[in-house]
Amino acid sequence: LIEPGADVEEPDVAKRILVIEDHEENRRIMRDLLTHAGYEMLEAVTGEDGIVAAGLERPDLILMDIQLPGLDGYDTTRRIKADPALRPIPIIAVTSYALSGDDQKALAAGCDAYVTKPFSPRALLGKIREFLG
Amino acid sequence: VENVRLFQELEARTRELAHSVEELQALSEVGRAVSSTVDLQTVLATIVARAVQLSGTSGGVVYEYDEATQEFQLRASHRIEQELVEVLQARPVRLGEGATGLAGLRRVPVEVPDTREDREFQITQLARTTLNQLGYRSILGIPLLLEQRIMGALTVFRRETGSFPSEIVNLLQTFATQSTIAIHNARLFREIEAKGRELEVASRHKSQFLANMSHELRTPLNAILGYTELLNDGIYGDLPQKAGDVMTRIDRSGKHLLGLINDVLDLSKIEAGQLELTLADYSLQEIVHAVLTQVEALASEKGLTLHVNVAPSLPPGRGDERRLAQVLLNLVGNAIKFTDVGSVRIAAYRDGDAFVVSVTDTGPGITEADRQRIFEEFQQADSSSTRKKGGTGLGLSIAKRIVELHGGRIWVESTFGRGSTFSFQVPVRVERQAARG
Repeated sequence: LIEPGADVEEPDVAKRILVIEDHEENRRIMRDLLTHAGYEMLEAVTGEDGIVAAGLERPDLILMDIQLPGLDGYDTTRRIKADPALRPIPIIAVTSYALSGDDQKALAAGCDAYVTKPFSPRALLGKIREFLG
Repeated sequence: VENVRLFQELEARTRELAHSVEELQALSEVGRAVSSTVDLQTVLATIVARAVQLSGTSGGVVYEYDEATQEFQLRASHRIEQELVEVLQARPVRLGEGATGLAGLRRVPVEVPDTREDREFQITQLARTTLNQLGYRSILGIPLLLEQRIMGALTVFRRETGSFPSEIVNLLQTFATQSTIAIHNARLFREIEAKGRELEVASRHKSQFLANMSHELRTPLNAILGYTELLNDGIYGDLPQKAGDVMTRIDRSGKHLLGLINDVLDLSKIEAGQLELTLADYSLQEIVHAVLTQVEALASEKGLTLHVNVAPSLPPGRGDERRLAQVLLNLVGNAIKFTDVGSVRIAAYRDGDAFVVSVTDTGPGITEADRQRIFEEFQQADSSSTRKKGGTGLGLSIAKRIVELHGGRIWVESTFGRGSTFSFQVPVRVERQAARG
């Protein structure tokens, strides 16, 4: 018997993805994409809110926009990765233009992978599946 | 008696001629200094030295006039005691003051035959005391005039009293003219320098603006391309065939626009000096093959043959692998774009301490005139082809800057009508990014 609220993976429950992104349109694209692919999407608009949401919700994966107002994606990633309880959650960075060097900085900050903006929803989904199967 | 007179006349003429030769020599020396030396101080020092020597006066100074303060500032002196120089430096001569100030005000040479008698001669008590102590008795001030504008003054001092002979006044006026030119040149030079600095700042602002703008432009484009793909993938339901075709067109145009924006961003970043190379070890062979994979489909679509010739056992290079791949991709992409029949050949080899990569096509070739400007921004060989072939005309200038940041160079060889070869050369090991080209 499984106790309610016990920390056990249930195969039938949708994997939960936290999207930290300040642009409304981008969040909506991700929502349409992820929901259609059978994931549950959680949202945060700022890095600060994202850290709180990550701690409360313990998502299976985080999509991190790099250019956020206030705390940027690098610092948000560093803070999440500094928490031992949250460290195993894979973080995929959504960086601006590929040649900007943001991708290297994202990896250095602790991100597990990156996609570059403008991202192809198809490619993003492929990247997510590498982590969530 | 007649012979004696002739002999004396001859002697006098000889002296005059010798003097003229001396004057000409001095003037030509001054002329050379004016045209070859940018440093105003040096030029004025040469002028005042020759002026004093040729006029046989005791000493002299050159002032530059400051229109804003209406003062003459000491710029150079010759055979003038340090004491007097210091007095003149500490308190610039005002317009209308002394021989110098009066010469400026009246715009004609002004002489003071006896500093102790002349009532018009108004100078500071300290200057008067110093002149008296040093024994100067007569002064001649020549204004430096450009049209009717005061540029400064050339002033000479003598220890004896009396008027200055007209030859000396005339001679000094020639030197004054030279000084005027020197001051005028120096001012123009300073102005150009300042303008150059202003331009540099303006150009940096422009680049920053472009960088910001292209970033802003990409955000909505992200949404357009994203929704297009979602629609195409049917996540909002199946699209009718016709709508699907249109979505594909929207996608293609959107990606084209994205390419243009990325090029502008790239170039503006380079222009703003914000592009930093990521230096790491790379394999030239792998770069060539990565580029090949990206263009193979394009070449076969046009029925072009791709030949690749990478020299065996190349040493590992050091540089920005992705940027170098971007350069090669641009060259090969252009070659395929502009060639309708034949082949594109990529060769990579080592030449001493450098790698050389070249891309040869059997395309239309480039005229001599176009070869000159093809690496400049927004230029394509034939501007009418811009519409036909697409592209921003920024690719080659971006490629050029990337190669230059590696301390290398890029060039083109072509015979019009018989194809082109674009080549670039970079040091095998780039340990440090080169300064902006």
